[in-house]
Amino acid sequence: MTEKPKVGVYVCHCGINISSTVDVDAVAEFAEKLPNVKVARTYSYMCSDPGQVLIKKDIEEHGLNRIVVASCSPRMHEPTFRKAIADAGVNPYFLEMANIREQCSWVHEEIEEGTAKAKKLLTASVAKVRLLEALEQKEVDAEPAALVIGAGIAGIQSALDIADAGFQVYLVEKTPSVGGRMAQLDKTFPTLDCSACILTPKMVDAANHPNIELLTYSEVEEVKGFIGNFDVKVRKKARYVDFDKCTGCGDCAKECRVKDRFPNEFDQGLSKRSAIYLPFPQAVPAKFTIDPDNCLFLKKGKCGKNPKCQEVCGTEAIDFEQEDEFVEFRVGAIIVATGFDPFNPSRKPEYGYDDYPNVITGMEMERLVSASGPTEGKVKVFNGEEEIEPKEVALIKCVGSRDESVGNEYCSRVCCMYVAKQAHLIRDKLPDANIRIYYMDVRAFGKGFEEFYDRVRRENVRYIRGNPSEIFKRGNKLVVKVEDTLTSTPLEDEVDMVVLGVGLEPRADMRGVMELLRLSQSPDKFFLEAHPKLRPVDTATDGVFLAGCAQGPKDIPDTVAQAKGAAASAMIPLARGKVPINAQVAIVNEATCRGCAFCVSICPYSAIEMVTVNRFGNEVEVARVNEALCKGCGSCAAACLSDSIQPKSFRDSQILPQIAALGVMK
Amino acid sequence: MDLELLRKTGAEVAARDDVKYLLGWKQGTYGYRVAPAFVENAAGAAELIFSPLCTANLATYLTLVEQLPVPRGEEPDTRKVALMVKGCDSRAVTQLLVEKGIERDEVVVIGCPCPGVVDPALLAEKYPETEEPAEMKWDGEDFLLIRNGEETKISRDELLAEKCRLCRYPNPVVSDEMLGEPVETWAPGEDKGVEEVEAKDVDSRLEYWMDQFDKCVRCYSCRNVCPLCYCQDCILDRLNPTWVNRSVNFSENTAFNIARAFHLAGRCIECGECERVCPANIPLGKINRKLARDVRDKYGFEPGVDPEAEPFQASYKPDDPEDFIL
Repeated sequence: MTEKPKVGVYVCHCGINISSTVDVDAVAEFAEKLPNVKVARTYSYMCSDPGQVLIKKDIEEHGLNRIVVASCSPRMHEPTFRKAIADAGVNPYFLEMANIREQCSWVHEEIEEGTAKAKKLLTASVAKVRLLEALEQKEVDAEPAALVIGAGIAGIQSALDIADAGFQVYLVEKTPSVGGRMAQLDKTFPTLDCSACILTPKMVDAANHPNIELLTYSEVEEVKGFIGNFDVKVRKKARYVDFDKCTGCGDCAKECRVKDRFPNEFDQGLSKRSAIYLPFPQAVPAKFTIDPDNCLFLKKGKCGKNPKCQEVCGTEAIDFEQEDEFVEFRVGAIIVATGFDPFNPSRKPEYGYDDYPNVITGMEMERLVSASGPTEGKVKVFNGEEEIEPKEVALIKCVGSRDESVGNEYCSRVCCMYVAKQAHLIRDKLPDANIRIYYMDVRAFGKGFEEFYDRVRRENVRYIRGNPSEIFKRGNKLVVKVEDTLTSTPLEDEVDMVVLGVGLEPRADMRGVMELLRLSQSPDKFFLEAHPKLRPVDTATDGVFLAGCAQGPKDIPDTVAQAKGAAASAMIPLARGKVPINAQVAIVNEATCRGCAFCVSICPYSAIEMVTVNRFGNEVEVARVNEALCKGCGSCAAACLSDSIQPKSFRDSQILPQIAALGVMK
Repeated sequence: MDLELLRKTGAEVAARDDVKYLLGWKQGTYGYRVAPAFVENAAGAAELIFSPLCTANLATYLTLVEQLPVPRGEEPDTRKVALMVKGCDSRAVTQLLVEKGIERDEVVVIGCPCPGVVDPALLAEKYPETEEPAEMKWDGEDFLLIRNGEETKISRDELLAEKCRLCRYPNPVVSDEMLGEPVETWAPGEDKGVEEVEAKDVDSRLEYWMDQFDKCVRCYSCRNVCPLCYCQDCILDRLNPTWVNRSVNFSENTAFNIARAFHLAGRCIECGECERVCPANIPLGKINRKLARDVRDKYGFEPGVDPEAEPFQASYKPDDPEDFIL
């Protein structure tokens, strides 16, 4: 570095955010006397346009080549000031932010203390800024394709939007059909349109879209690379049915030797299916799948003389020799739309879900009231003795939500409305039934929700405020034990049927996706977004976005909105065709690297690999950083025993003088 | 240990075309000294020994040997290095494999099941060293000392090195060839040395280590002899940034010793070489064993046992305990 550092210091008032507990003028005056400082100024809002112009003008007039801004956290305005000084011809990485707001003015009450600390922080920043190195902002090409994981409504919507924009989409679904949870629902609140009727056209669109490659009954096995260039490997599980030959006629399922023996997942186990099955009539693709855990031939190698399915299949589509296949492709962005699991009420044994057949979950109720469901829409339950049409129906809200005892403190956001909707549907089918809903609160916050809630109440559905403590059997009735907390009356309510308004939980198998894509969880265990307000669909991994209930409980409109948001975000790198990569990356000193690969194991971004280099004629292994993957987090530097790997702009030689300037060490 | 078998195997291995040299132990020039033998051919194997005096961990030489520049036009010598290891030494080899300090196909490991070696300082103190080279053997449960043609039987408890008393791996955990039958493992005794220091209150513990580190002359023998201190360029030698100043005083000595110990946390395989070579008699083993014990108790990790293990200092589990972090 030949040029002598000429530092400009800019102290921000941030209105009174900083200036009320930091004497900014005194700090600027102090800064002027620091080594290499040419100019020190204050301004009310440094981030404002005039504030930036002030810096740019000084760079021109005084030939400044290093800038220190004493203001807020670099998380706020570092990019603003980088851009400003780059406009004025200074390398954007010759900038240091002294955080005198979050770490100073906001935590001090006395102006003396605040000012003294601001001076120290500034001294440290000036000490460091002189030692910074010029970094180059690089870009890499982005693959104009996207991967969408999960083909529920969120995944389908994201895939359709991206595909409509002209980019290739790989839509991967774990189960044999697209559709997800929404396909299982009967009517949707508050408008009561039929869920399947509004969803199936989208399912068909997704399957037929020329830009969408649909990979059902498939799982993402491996993801390598980084934004713009993710290399993805997908396992297509063997269906044991030739995808191209199967016409979906269903003869095989009718003839299966173990016909209608196994719980039908789509009907929540309320009906039975064969070992060869189509999940539901409108399934997309309409191709049959053999369940390898239950098929006699696959399990035992024998199914009568010949498997019946094979015998009856007119197109000879059954293929027991089929094996899992692997598909590999490259995408520029990934959307995670893996959805949720309904809360399993076995975890609240006091509600007797495992003991009484007439205690059912909301999801089961959806199938029960559905015209395409196991009872063709008739509300019938088995009370332990006989199948009856219930006269007394209780619905309970917040089962598994807002409940610390099961570890879910959050509100599931859909139960209030779906329970109201189900009460309405029961009223529709059983005009004489007595229906009551046990609730803690009614949260009818969405468009048309409050109106719907009012409508349901007018339909003679009683809302009783109380959280039932127990459900037990008395004769052929169920007793809901509860305290009506509005009148402080203990009740023992005898009913024929209880619907548990179960909440939404993170998927039990989310860890696999988490590890694949290096995602984190928020305290509620759903996937964590990059910022709760300003980056709600982004994740900490660049190029990976969230849509739908994978990120947190949501109703259908919110899910679709977020899916469209995620699609729009994912399309940014695809449309640009290039992605900028972090310049503050780690760099290896290959001369001192001892090749232990500690950094390789500890790197959370898999950004480091071992390479063989020639050291004076000897072949030695050393670490090397993939700059496109490195986030500059510094974990490697902490793990390295010989200080041979260091993040640029955060090298020991830059940080130690900064710490020394604080006066805490020599 | 059957010396004939040792030398025969040694000769065979040293004669192999793909072996550069064999590292073993040989009689030293006087008294109880045992020197490392670099055996380059079958004939050289005649001087190999394995006895209770063979305390040195030869795995050090795997990384200590300087990689000389290869003259232009010549090929680097990529032949294997063969070495003889006791149980503890073999853990150093394993840990080096974990850390990629060596590759498995770069070494030939000859395992020597070890009934335990003597504490050389204790031996010299009780049985003064002679000018003539002396010999020692395992004799059943005991040691047999042969000095000036005179045999003395010494009970195992009297001279057994502390690291051997606490040893849980007397048989090599990695080897290509094993010399003789494995020895029976013994129950490791209590680690009184560590427990004594642990029992002290903070002030007296500090005082204890102040006294110890005050003695340090910063000769760096502990670092140089350690099979797992093999950085090309040790940060403790660096001037920019200067983590440890050159001056020999309590502050810098402490910084050096703490850095050395922490760099070995989850890596030290407790061969005791650092303590053996320390000219100031600082009980370095106590520091290393304390760290090893914490790593084992809190994280269930033991270095140098599984060559496929993730390096402890570079691995992370979400349920790792962190209750001791302030």
